[in-house]
Amino acid sequence: MYRFSLFSLLFLCSGWLVAQTPWETPADRKAKLSTVAFTEQGQTLGKELYQTNCKSCHGDPGKNNVIRLVPLPPDPASVQLQQNSDGSLHYKISEGRGLMPAFKNVLSAEYIWDVISYLRTYNKDYKQQLAVKPTAGGEVFDKVDLKLERDSGHSGVVVQLTGMKGALVKPIPGLEVKLFARRYFGFQVVGKPVDTNAEGMARFEIPKSLPGDSSGNVLLVAQLSDEELFGPVKAESLLAIGLPVYRPPLNEQRALWNVGQKAPIWLLIVYLSVVFIVWGFIFFILFQLRAIFKLGELK
Amino acid sequence: MASEVNTKFLQDKRLDRIATDILRPVGVDRSFLIWMSSLAMLLLVCMYAYYIQLDKGLIVTGLRDYVSWGMYISNFVFFVATSLVGMLISSVLGMMGYKWVKPIGRIAEIIAVAFSAVAGLVIVSDMGRPERLPYVLMYARIQSPILWDVTVVTTYMTLSILLYVFTMIPDMAISKNRIGHAPVWLQKTYDLLSFNFQHTPGQYKILMKSIRILLILIVPTAFAIHTVTSWLFAVTTRPGWDSTIFGPYFLTGAFVAGSAAVIILMYVVRNSYKLSRYITAEHFDKMGKLLFLVSIVYFYFNLNEYLVPAYKMKTFEAHHLKELFVGEFAFMFWSIQLSGLIIPMILLLFKPMRKPFPMLLIASVVLIASWFKRLLIVVPTMEGPFLPKQNVPDAWMVYHPTIVESAITLGTITLAVMIISVLMKLFPVIPIWEIAEEESAHPDQQPVE
Ligand code: HEC
Repeated sequence: MYRFSLFSLLFLCSGWLVAQTPWETPADRKAKLSTVAFTEQGQTLGKELYQTNCKSCHGDPGKNNVIRLVPLPPDPASVQLQQNSDGSLHYKISEGRGLMPAFKNVLSAEYIWDVISYLRTYNKDYKQQLAVKPTAGGEVFDKVDLKLERDSGHSGVVVQLTGMKGALVKPIPGLEVKLFARRYFGFQVVGKPVDTNAEGMARFEIPKSLPGDSSGNVLLVAQLSDEELFGPVKAESLLAIGLPVYRPPLNEQRALWNVGQKAPIWLLIVYLSVVFIVWGFIFFILFQLRAIFKLGELK
Repeated sequence: MASEVNTKFLQDKRLDRIATDILRPVGVDRSFLIWMSSLAMLLLVCMYAYYIQLDKGLIVTGLRDYVSWGMYISNFVFFVATSLVGMLISSVLGMMGYKWVKPIGRIAEIIAVAFSAVAGLVIVSDMGRPERLPYVLMYARIQSPILWDVTVVTTYMTLSILLYVFTMIPDMAISKNRIGHAPVWLQKTYDLLSFNFQHTPGQYKILMKSIRILLILIVPTAFAIHTVTSWLFAVTTRPGWDSTIFGPYFLTGAFVAGSAAVIILMYVVRNSYKLSRYITAEHFDKMGKLLFLVSIVYFYFNLNEYLVPAYKMKTFEAHHLKELFVGEFAFMFWSIQLSGLIIPMILLLFKPMRKPFPMLLIASVVLIASWFKRLLIVVPTMEGPFLPKQNVPDAWMVYHPTIVESAITLGTITLAVMIISVLMKLFPVIPIWEIAEEESAHPDQQPVE
């Protein structure tokens, strides 16, 4: 108890001290912008995220019903919050300070943008500025695209990176690509990241031992390492490239925890034989009633 | 129970006196009608409560996400437990040759019939969608103890009814011409239930063989019924239920509850039916000793059930046990252990306490405590899940039985009392032929008043 009160006291003081200093954002983070335009869809998701993650402290935007902490968490509709640049908001939500939790390990960078897009709905004067179009090697593209397929003639896979601008389609060299394999839980990194070559291709060797499903299928995912620049650029492909591994489904065999039709044989035998024996006797005894009745008639 | 029946007793004039005594209360009289109609009225009110539950669903009970087994399942365990005494008295003690149980054997069987029959209904009361009851069989999983429970409860009920009917056949034959004072339909029923019994040696042979088979079958079935009921709990890993001795623990607890129920009914028979000649102070003394015996065995299992985990105090068990010993349930826990087990055991050591009236009081307290004991087995465990309780309204985290569910529970008890009343009042409550046979075999031994 003593430790706890000391701890809370220190905690409160630290909050108070921190409150004295303005919360600065590093210049590069301050200037950061979202690569995608804020949409209604993103705002709806952002609202949901806000209500589960932020509302407990920041209250309902515009209602000024924030929780009484030191320093006060500002109302999202307030000038104090809205005066932040998009990059600043992203930084503060990601990193946190004092009682304001860091969300970088809770929400993905895109999710945080969605929350910001929602927060901005409480600012009538706000006009979104988009990040400049993706550039690579000095060239500006409207869109970049990844393709993932088997490397014909080789044992691995090849990833093709192309950029598009109007009718122009060009391979992009010199960008790092990562490869993952879908596992039961999450993704497994396959090999080291590879830079795209002059043809915009990155080749990956697939280890022979990479386990696939019963026909060797593995879901592979290729992704650009530099998410910041282009947003999430991904390609997925189900390829029969892994080691076929047959794992019987957990509910295939007879087991105590399986469905009724897959009950263990021993249990069926025990249960049914006990029931048949006991109820056999019961019917036998019911027939005895008849026998008693018949004997009575004789007399 | 001897397999040979000495039919000499049929000529003995004592038979007349015994039959007259035992059949005197039989029939429909004013006080019986009043008693039954007040019970029926009570039942009607409780059925209205059930109508509310049918209409609105289980939301009208205190059952929620965390405590989904409350009063209903506790009540079910109580019913199954109490019904077990039929096996103890008639089968175990009867087959071991204890002659003194003869006059009370039928009382025990009546309890077995009534309580096992209503037990099934009690389960239905816990179902939010009772019309889906057939699904239990249609989509049966033979692996589930619930299916085993359904099986053994029906089997035990059938065996109990058969035992009740079979041991009454000679009585029906003896009585059918002696109940002129009873309504005609009752006389017809007696005639029907006598199955043409003429007391021929051949008929006795078949009868005794059947009764013997029933008595033997009932022993494992009764063990199964309550062991399986205990497994409904013990096969889960939850604190308070995760125990290897739950089977015997439940079984011995059942004998305590059942013996208490028999004692209460014995008192009713002795005093209201004026049958003190047959159910003597001696019987109460013996039942007192039996109650002591089963209580001390039950006490021994309680000691194991609580002391062993309390010595280890594993994290979750510790939480559970603290709730029982000093926490939220402490008052209930200690009242039950003291008034339902320890104090009765001490009192029963003294002969004056084993007289009929003190026995009535002790047995009543024991029976009530044993009802609450079942609640104590079910609810605290459900209130203490492994994962933190969250994302539900505060009121859902603890169990508060509602009036509706209490009324429904009261209804099931009322129904059992009604069945018992009918069986006790309309049929000979003491086996005439067994007493007559006994008395004519030992004419010099007169029962002490
Ligand atoms: C545990 C309470 C708590 C939660 C939950 C919380 N915040 Fe905060 N937030 C605070 C506090 C306290 C501050 C003030 C911090 C300071 O100035 O040191 C703050 C400050 C902020 C700021 C900076 C405002 C400024 O002054 O520039 C932003 C932006 C912000 N929160 C957004 C969010 C978002 C978005 C979420 C949900 C994803 C969230 N907060 C969740 C307590 C919280």
